[in-house]
Amino acid sequence: MPLWFLRGLSRGVVTTRYPARPDASAATLPTPPAFRPRLLTRQVADRLVAVCPSNALSRQDDVLVFDIGACTCCGRCAQTAAEAAAGPASGAITSSGQFELAATSRETLLKQIPILGDAR
Amino acid sequence: MNPGTREAAAASRLKDTIAAQFGRSLHIRTLDTGSCAVCEQEIRLLTAPHYDLNRLGFFFTPAPRHADLLLVTGPMVRAFDAAACKTYEAMPGPKIVVATGACALGGVYRKDPFVHGEVAEVLPVDVWIPGCPPSPLALLHGLGVAVGRLAEKTPGLTFVAKEAADPETGGEP
Repeated sequence: MPLWFLRGLSRGVVTTRYPARPDASAATLPTPPAFRPRLLTRQVADRLVAVCPSNALSRQDDVLVFDIGACTCCGRCAQTAAEAAAGPASGAITSSGQFELAATSRETLLKQIPILGDAR
Repeated sequence: MNPGTREAAAASRLKDTIAAQFGRSLHIRTLDTGSCAVCEQEIRLLTAPHYDLNRLGFFFTPAPRHADLLLVTGPMVRAFDAAACKTYEAMPGPKIVVATGACALGGVYRKDPFVHGEVAEVLPVDVWIPGCPPSPLALLHGLGVAVGRLAEKTPGLTFVAKEAADPETGGEP
């Protein structure tokens, strides 16, 4: 029996079982942001819209429209939110941890994030 | 049963049949419409031992005439229009078009005299896979969604995070 076959058996299987079981490497993937509506103000939202390099964010009055399809998961919005606000808004954006984002309609990739920070 | 419902039922049955047949063996043709090649790099990783796409019945083919699924990357440069349309027309039906990556979905480049900005401007896209680049796992999920083997998760996601403990509201959502 060829040596490479025995070596392969002794080292185990490297192939992921992904669709059937979760894959451990998924935890390290860059993922789109998740927002905390109560920490978002219109001012912070406008800064986020300005800093997004791929036009994934836009603001319509008190709603932040997030286009997952356009998001490049660069993390600049999270960085800006952390810097902008030196206070309450510093935790406004976290990583969503979602990577299974395929969709059969483009509209489902547009998410409406309410901006509730101005209300109180 | 009125004609509209009957047609819808027939369309849904046809869709199920196609999904059932494509679910077992599917040939993929990739089409680069001006991408930076990182999406291609991730697509190439699908055939590496770690992901081993062939175990799921998916195969890459160099010929559009043998392909069932067109995996399109890039922002659709206008110079590529004729080639993209020829590729699509050369594929036998039924066929699936999957737009892959933020460029193909209309994120990175705006519509201008050189690019369409998104694949859906030229080809009828069936499945959209976000990501810059989409990881091989995301591509596997996208292919699963395209053949009806996996459920899409995006409709259920809100991208609103759970509120952090807040002194003023006491952590109430």
